[in-house]
Amino acid sequence: MRQEYAWRSIALTTLLAFLSVAVLVQMIRIQYSPEAEVFRAQAEQYSGKFQTFYPERGEIYDRNGHLLAGNEAVYTVGVNVHEMKDAHTIALTLVAYLGLNYEEVMRRLQDPGGLSFVTLANYVEAEDASTLMKLQEQMTADALAVNQHSALDGLEFQPHLQRSYPENALASNILGFVNREGKGYFGVEEKYNDLLAGNPVQVWVPEDPNRAAEIPRIPNGTTLILTINRDLQAAAEEALDNAIYEYGAHNGAVIILDPRTGEMLAMATTPRMDLNQFWNYPYVYDQSYLYNPAISMQYEPGSVFKILTMAAGLDLGVIAPNTLFNDTGSIEVGGAIIQNWDRQPWGAQDMIGCLQHSLNVCHAWISTKMGEENFYRYMNNFGIGHPTGIDLAGESPGRLKQPGDLEYFPVELGTNAFGQGVAVTPIQMLTAATPLANQGRLVIPHVLYAMVRDGRQFNIAPIHGGNPISVPTARTISEMLAISLENEASMALVPGYRVAGKTGTAQIPVDGYYDPYSVNASFIGWGPIDDPRFLIYVWLERPTTSQWANDTAAPLFSEIAQKTVILLGIPPDAIRLQLVNQ
Amino acid sequence: MFRETSWRRFDFWLLGVLIFAISFGVAMIRSAIAGNEELAQTVLRQVQFGVAGLIVIFIVAGIDYRYWTALYTPMFVVMMILLIMIYISAQPQFGAARWFQIAGIFIQPTELAKVVEVLILARYFDATKDRPRDLRWIFGSLVWVGTLALPILLQPNLSNVVVMLVIWAAMIWINGIQLKHIFWFGVAGLTIVIVAFPFLEPYQQERVLTFIFPDENATFGNLYNVQQALIAIGSGGWFGRGYGLGTQSQLRFLKVRHTDFIFSVIAEEFGLVGALLALSTIVFIVYRCLRASRLARDLSGSLIAYGIAVLIFFQGAINIGVNLRIVPVSGLPLPFISYGGSGLVSLMLGIALVESVVMRQKEVDF
Repeated sequence: MRQEYAWRSIALTTLLAFLSVAVLVQMIRIQYSPEAEVFRAQAEQYSGKFQTFYPERGEIYDRNGHLLAGNEAVYTVGVNVHEMKDAHTIALTLVAYLGLNYEEVMRRLQDPGGLSFVTLANYVEAEDASTLMKLQEQMTADALAVNQHSALDGLEFQPHLQRSYPENALASNILGFVNREGKGYFGVEEKYNDLLAGNPVQVWVPEDPNRAAEIPRIPNGTTLILTINRDLQAAAEEALDNAIYEYGAHNGAVIILDPRTGEMLAMATTPRMDLNQFWNYPYVYDQSYLYNPAISMQYEPGSVFKILTMAAGLDLGVIAPNTLFNDTGSIEVGGAIIQNWDRQPWGAQDMIGCLQHSLNVCHAWISTKMGEENFYRYMNNFGIGHPTGIDLAGESPGRLKQPGDLEYFPVELGTNAFGQGVAVTPIQMLTAATPLANQGRLVIPHVLYAMVRDGRQFNIAPIHGGNPISVPTARTISEMLAISLENEASMALVPGYRVAGKTGTAQIPVDGYYDPYSVNASFIGWGPIDDPRFLIYVWLERPTTSQWANDTAAPLFSEIAQKTVILLGIPPDAIRLQLVNQ
Repeated sequence: MFRETSWRRFDFWLLGVLIFAISFGVAMIRSAIAGNEELAQTVLRQVQFGVAGLIVIFIVAGIDYRYWTALYTPMFVVMMILLIMIYISAQPQFGAARWFQIAGIFIQPTELAKVVEVLILARYFDATKDRPRDLRWIFGSLVWVGTLALPILLQPNLSNVVVMLVIWAAMIWINGIQLKHIFWFGVAGLTIVIVAFPFLEPYQQERVLTFIFPDENATFGNLYNVQQALIAIGSGGWFGRGYGLGTQSQLRFLKVRHTDFIFSVIAEEFGLVGALLALSTIVFIVYRCLRASRLARDLSGSLIAYGIAVLIFFQGAINIGVNLRIVPVSGLPLPFISYGGSGLVSLMLGIALVESVVMRQKEVDF
């Protein structure tokens, strides 16, 4: 270089030096300027974030440990648009594997609207997702081998949990379901939503992989063990479905309870719904009370109610089993005439005859003999007109009008005695009968057997609701009902087991009058009567093959009772009493 | 005229610091890509390229640089063919066709073009050293540079065109361009920039604009990268968070962290001290190149070493400037430290030329 250009060299070197110094100054400035604090704070802020952890929802088991509700992993499939290389291939792949719409996918990928992650499909089943993931892995490996980007780059899978019901529609009325926001609807899922869902925890989560240990472990939601016996539930549902078909009924319910503890063994209703497709709910049920009619449907119980009147009369002492009543075919109560179902006089009858022939006049006589105050005291003690307190969401209270109520008429003392003018739910009717089957003591029905939390099990103690009747009264009414069934060789009888029970054929009030051609047929019964282990209520809405519960509800009771004794392993009376007597 | 090669004059200081810079770079790339399966091969590749570059240094240093300047025409033709071949066989990557692939290796001829430009300009200014510094002389040099830069401009790769223009400017400056010409070129240049701005690719316009008017609300995009880089640098402190512990880099807040933003990774994980080390490494290499320029036996050798020094320094300054938000975002790597095979080998070829120059310096052997 020429010497006369030396100053140029110096100028240039100065420039370079100046640039170096500028870099230095800027570095130190970034470290020590007021902004530095902001940067450090931002680094801290980016190093983690507040995140809300939702515990895994508690599982639901039947009393024998069969899973009724669990959680399964499903996937959100989406595209990270910053890493996406080939929208067309991604769209085609998702069309082929997940059945998405090509135009729709392309539109959303090409115009993500500022999103960096575009969600294309949610709740993709693990099987489909894993097929896609394997495909992507293969394509990435192939592409890497030739130093290319895979056409599926950017496709991402995010697993999360979804409620799953391995038994599908079984016990759907008891379980209820969970929507995608994790909220429970109906049944156990709604009633115990807070327990099952657990407590969401909001914590600061460092994103630094070196601090992964600081991410807290969130305890799962409480696991519930139900009193339900899965096999008995399935048997009851099957028997109910068959009966509804066979008798041409509109609807029905079967409830099986352990009268000693109030544990619900089975509760079958129709229609049922596959809980894994809970979104069908509005198509399956017109009204919310149809979801579980056993606790939500209110109706006039009819003749089965007579067992309560009879038990109350016996307990109060106004009658005895051998009290004779001369049935003239009608009785006047509160200025109105009450007649028998056949409008005929039945002459002299003892109380077993009154039950056996289901005489309205006789029972109206009993209630009038008791008087308003005593009768309604007993009915309240039986829980009529009050929710039973069963631990399922959606229970209706029923209705029992009483003296002093605005709509109460004196004649209702007579009509209530045989189950008219009073509204109950199946579970209420069943609960009211528990004192009869359980030595006078009322038990509150429940479906929760135990809770499991943090590895510990908490069992639920039976809850008793007082003693509406005495032990002898319970024995007496059971014996009377057993004899009355045996006397008429009822279809309800269970071979090998003595059972007590009563049919109910309730005409359905339509526009204020009773429609003689549409009835609710029901049966309530329990056994073995010396030590009742099951209490069964069977209810069929508008069976069309016969007007009489004896032809429809009674054989259904017998069928279910036979299945119950087998599934619960209750030995026949002969063998059991032999063992006791030894 | 050609004397025996003297390996005694080989600049081992330059080579030593160069090897240190590459090793440092490999270590930082390893940290920057940790956990990314797709990029897992980059560490090994950088090492392979580094070794290939060393072989290049020893071979090319052994060859007299005047062979290269003498062969400027075929060299220029081959370079042009390579640059044009991109359009025939290239695969667009991140929106621009800059690469083509030979035997599984992506090759970016643009990196080589910058070294070739230095050689060709050195030859030109040596050949015209006795000519008056008139406009013809200026345009003569500009034709070479312009022809070489045109296919690169069309790729489009503005950053490297700027680098090439800077090399040209620095070389013509040192060769005595008249100040009045600089003034007029400045005016013309400014006019071209203003007129050409509307014709830039939208992403290029955007980068310039976001640099001048940063959008505070942008969460993603160009400013995002720079912002993340600043956070990385700002949170590094004096000694950094430690190797492999930088949250910004390890957590992928920094994009292209193993190439364009490796300086931020260094600053975050090794702090100000680490950043100064990286900076002084590059400054030292530049200093050794300028020393070679001073010792060169003839003008062409001196200009080669000088041009390579400008290339390394400018590229490094721009890269660090981007990281520090002194200049707009551009895709220039940090010399010898950033990941990138073509860039590394091309710059090592430049160093090889410098070694070739310094090995044939003017002092006589005793």
